[in-house]
Amino acid sequence: MSFWLTVLRQVGRNLRQTWGSQLMTLLTVSLSVLIFAFFYLIYTNMLNFGNKLGDDLSLIVYLEEEPGPELQQQLTKKITTFDEVEQIRFISRADAYERFARQLGQNQDVLNDMPKDFLPPSIEVVPLKNLRSLNQVKLFSTYLSRLPGTLKVQYGQDWVERFYYFTKLLSIIVLLSGILLILTTIFMVAYTIRLTIIGRQAELELLKLVGATNNYIRTPFLLEGLLQGVLGSFLGIFSLYILFQWIKLRFSGPSFLNLFEFSFFSPEVSITIIFVSILLCTLGSYSTMQKFLRI
Amino acid sequence: MTIHSSQSQPTETMIELIKVSKQYPPDVVALKDISVSIGTGEMFFVIGRSGAGKTTLLKLLCSMETPSNGLIEISGKSINQLKGHHLAKLRQKIGVAYQDFKLLTDRTTAENIAISMEVSYKKPQIIRKRVRDLLEQLDLSDKHDTVTGELSRGEQQRVTLARAIANSPTMILVDEPTGNLDAATTERVMALLHNCNKAGATIVIATHDDSIYRHTTHRVMELRKGQFHGMTKGNFS
Repeated sequence: MSFWLTVLRQVGRNLRQTWGSQLMTLLTVSLSVLIFAFFYLIYTNMLNFGNKLGDDLSLIVYLEEEPGPELQQQLTKKITTFDEVEQIRFISRADAYERFARQLGQNQDVLNDMPKDFLPPSIEVVPLKNLRSLNQVKLFSTYLSRLPGTLKVQYGQDWVERFYYFTKLLSIIVLLSGILLILTTIFMVAYTIRLTIIGRQAELELLKLVGATNNYIRTPFLLEGLLQGVLGSFLGIFSLYILFQWIKLRFSGPSFLNLFEFSFFSPEVSITIIFVSILLCTLGSYSTMQKFLRI
Repeated sequence: MTIHSSQSQPTETMIELIKVSKQYPPDVVALKDISVSIGTGEMFFVIGRSGAGKTTLLKLLCSMETPSNGLIEISGKSINQLKGHHLAKLRQKIGVAYQDFKLLTDRTTAENIAISMEVSYKKPQIIRKRVRDLLEQLDLSDKHDTVTGELSRGEQQRVTLARAIANSPTMILVDEPTGNLDAATTERVMALLHNCNKAGATIVIATHDDSIYRHTTHRVMELRKGQFHGMTKGNFS
């Protein structure tokens, strides 16, 4: 009989004997993966949402005087010194007037008595479409307000700040649930394997005496940890997928959630979560063996 | 003291003990300066009262314990410092029937016997056949699926012996093989050991049961208080 077949028989036998504690560990690992993946899913969707909202975001810098071509160049240089931007548009008083008139549509008569240069010239700064730029928008705004000849800077200040704090909170939750995942998988698996080792002390002693190699004794425990990781993470991700589908179905009508375009993890992210969980469980199993399995 | 093999002893040496001593803390001397050569295919008896050092000697031979002093060689190789894979390989070639049985009491008789073959990756069908044969030879066929915790002491002793010889080891160490057996079963057990010996296995039997070595033609070494006391060649009485 081959080594692996013998080892698999050992694993099967052990799982049968300690199925209670193995099941508890499996559920704990699954739950940890589910909690972490749940918050991570919200976080990634929030990032996507932020990027989409960022598409419409621009900072409008109102100027005292219309800048000449040379000053425009200087201002462009100053702006790009702070951060890369998507676009910089200089709006003259006349352009601002025309745009305003267009926006008023049929009511543009109200402008008839107004001088064509009553609106201030401005610069429209469109930041890059990423969260870093979005989070930096407040700093960017302060920077722009200090540019020479600036009257004031306008942008969707309220929601940008709220969104920034919300994503920051989410990132902390993701970090905490990630730590929870690491602790539970490592410690729960390590604890279960430790219980198994203690429960099978007599057998392990005998195995050594009849000539079992270290690999013969250790590999089943490693496989048990690995199996916990595989099953636990699959179960966790699968449960999240079911939950995700249910939420999508349940809130598919006109509701607040419809503002967001929720999407599940890409296969790469799912595989990474599963792989990391497997690694953590195997690590838990290995650390216990090093500590308690004296052969 | 060194005891050399007599004229009938096989030429190759399986076990070589040179001035072997074993001391347990703080100052309990279990064996002192034991030197003996046991040939390949020899049946060798170690006798003595309780506490004479018989079990310690067997434990040293199967590398369950390490000697405090002296050298132990199996097939010409020192086993004093054996570790890991080499130690495992050596132990696969040694079958040991322990005095305290060391059975897994929550496993069946068949599973207990199979364990020594599983570690050397024998095929399941070979293991099953060997287990059945041994159980038949030891009159335990009806106990195949019985959990060993439910067996009598005598039955457990036979299961231990079956496990020791199951993997067809080149060396068999047996500690008090007949302690819990009646006369008929003792005869059956000894017949099995003789068969193994005829098949080429070196057998060392530690016992205080004089009925099994009284009429033997094999060498008998007597220990007293951990020290060599005498060596008799056959027909000990």
